[in-house]
Amino acid sequence: MDFDDTADEAAYRAGVRELLDQHAAELVRLDSGEEAADAAQQERALRQTQRVLAEAGLVGVSWSREHGGQAGTLAQQAIVNQELARARVPTLINHIGLGMCGPTVVAHGTPAQHEKYLARLLRADDVWCQLFSEPASGSDLAALRTTAVLDGDEWVVNGQKVWTTLAHVADYGILLTRTDPDRPKHAGLTMFVVDMHAPGVTVRPLKQLGGQSDFNEVFFDDVLIADSERLGEPGEGWRVALTTLLNERVAVGGGGNDLGLSIESLATLARDRVPQLPPDRQVLARQAVGRASVAALANRYTGYRRYTAISRGGLPGPEASAGKLAGTAAAKLVADAGVRLLGDDAVYSRGPDSDDGRWQRNQAWLPGIAIAGGTDEVLRNIIGERVLGLPPEPREDKTAPFNAGSRS
Amino acid sequence: MNFELDDVQRAAAAGARAFFAGSASPGDARRALGGGPVAPGRKALADIGYLGIPVPESAGGGGGSVLDLAVVAEQAGAVLAGPSLVTAARAAVLLADQPDLLAALADGSAAFAVLDGAGPSIDAAGADSFLALDGGALVVGSGKVTAGTPMDATRGLASVRLTSRTVLAEDAGERWARARDTALVVLAAEDLGAAARAVQLGVDYAKVRTAFGRPIGSYQAVKHALVDAWVGVEQLRSLVWWAAWAADSAPQELPLAAAAAKAFAAKTLERAAETCVQVHGGIGFTWEHDAHLYWRRAKVDRLLLGDEAEHLDAVAGLVLAGALDR
Repeated sequence: MDFDDTADEAAYRAGVRELLDQHAAELVRLDSGEEAADAAQQERALRQTQRVLAEAGLVGVSWSREHGGQAGTLAQQAIVNQELARARVPTLINHIGLGMCGPTVVAHGTPAQHEKYLARLLRADDVWCQLFSEPASGSDLAALRTTAVLDGDEWVVNGQKVWTTLAHVADYGILLTRTDPDRPKHAGLTMFVVDMHAPGVTVRPLKQLGGQSDFNEVFFDDVLIADSERLGEPGEGWRVALTTLLNERVAVGGGGNDLGLSIESLATLARDRVPQLPPDRQVLARQAVGRASVAALANRYTGYRRYTAISRGGLPGPEASAGKLAGTAAAKLVADAGVRLLGDDAVYSRGPDSDDGRWQRNQAWLPGIAIAGGTDEVLRNIIGERVLGLPPEPREDKTAPFNAGSRS
Repeated sequence: MNFELDDVQRAAAAGARAFFAGSASPGDARRALGGGPVAPGRKALADIGYLGIPVPESAGGGGGSVLDLAVVAEQAGAVLAGPSLVTAARAAVLLADQPDLLAALADGSAAFAVLDGAGPSIDAAGADSFLALDGGALVVGSGKVTAGTPMDATRGLASVRLTSRTVLAEDAGERWARARDTALVVLAAEDLGAAARAVQLGVDYAKVRTAFGRPIGSYQAVKHALVDAWVGVEQLRSLVWWAAWAADSAPQELPLAAAAAKAFAAKTLERAAETCVQVHGGIGFTWEHDAHLYWRRAKVDRLLLGDEAEHLDAVAGLVLAGALDR
């Protein structure tokens, strides 16, 4: 047992660090303060950052060479992720495309689609989004109502998607639609690649709880998609979507990086704030710091176990859902301890650069993390049923034709 | 990174699981509450070599690591075995320069207990050789043992008044602290095993018990409670392994890792045991069922060697002092 890189991993990590140093001037940094500036300028800078990294061989590390990747291991991808975090490079702008859309196109797309999309996706020439959730189908994804109807060699799409991260900057999306409402809900679905600039696509940013706008609602009004942009067979959309969701697990499965602000950040804040408290309040503050630290350490070292499994060639299984569940809970404890240490200084923000703003923004971001990519409750069902082997709830909605049911 | 048991440790865990399955059980823990012996008992643990795991080969022990011991301790915890391997781990650190006493620890010819002041100490009932910190000096002696009516009889809790003492080492404060941290790791490992088994009992029952026409484990209220307990167990496993590794290979990280593991173990075992009782419903509240024996272990262990609040405070103190800055 050890926490060191193998000789191969150490050599690979050193190479990654050298490349990041070489290109340092061309990369956006989290602490550069550019974020608050012009959104369009920031988007261009983030696309440029990914292009530079792609040309340096640091994007799509575990993708095959045939599809423009580096034919590396998931462990090498995890090393790149760790080094990008260490270098304070923000999450790649095309992270949805790299983690979910791209692997789905690889698995179910035609050679022509591979040729058309993958290289540009890796370079962020095109940014991708994932058009799954709808107003009436969140956790119950297969209840979606957006329709696609075949007309000649084109499909006509009508409906609405929601909570679509990056749709406001995306060039393409993978779109799950209902093509046969007479079949049971999971059997009547079909997946497409949709051009986000096509006529009839309308993107409206949504303002989130914390005031930011990372996600959107997307409307489809008689949008035409060529049949050649179908991913998988008609009616096979659920199986294609499962590929996407499996890859989501791989994308979040590695590492041991903290989900929210780090324990080290909390330690820095606590060193400043705890001594200023009266002694009886110090006792309570230390309990909160201790509890948050223990939860975050437990999750960090559990992440190291997943990373070990990946570095031995394993794939994250359903148990990886526990990492997001516990990571969210730990991040909430850390954020809560930080905000409470700030006390009166946390009830309003003195500006984006002040420490209190950072902790409040993090606090306001975490409720979304407990919902996105599988709510806490859905993750508990996955672990309960697929890891512990507990029986699923009986469901009548799986077998009845979709249009005969309550649609809920 | 290689944060996983190796093949030898996995084989040792399998061997320990088989040994404890045949030599101790919650049924034994129940009988101990009525005055029966603690199983498997000191002699059996010595004979299989488990008491000697932390003792060097030169003193007749197995020369194993704290991680080796933790792997076995997890299996001991699963069946609520006694006496605790915590005592062996702690005594082995304290007696590091005492080959004769180490040999007696390993072969079971002396029954050691380590005393924390005048309060209840683990496995003091039935012990004959007591280790204590006396004005900064490490002493060994005999003593007068007073046991109460135990809440968990497998822990052998009793208070002891020393009646004789021999100084083994002056200025033993640092060694005492390291021994206590090592004990925390092994206690957390026993709690890990007990918590994992309590969750498994609950899961097994939830699959077969039906209510309102279907297995209770299909209801999210039951399923999610079991999942939360299971997630806690897996997170605790990570802390136990880290703390054991630190005891063996990174002593500067041991105080933080040991306090974190003990604090997390207290809460995790308690939740697992309470969930186990709750999932079983009425039958889980009976004397005949095993659930209360895990519940008893949880309610006692959470207070031993410092409670959750003490260790959370220790973690906070270390974090504030820069323990995570590297």
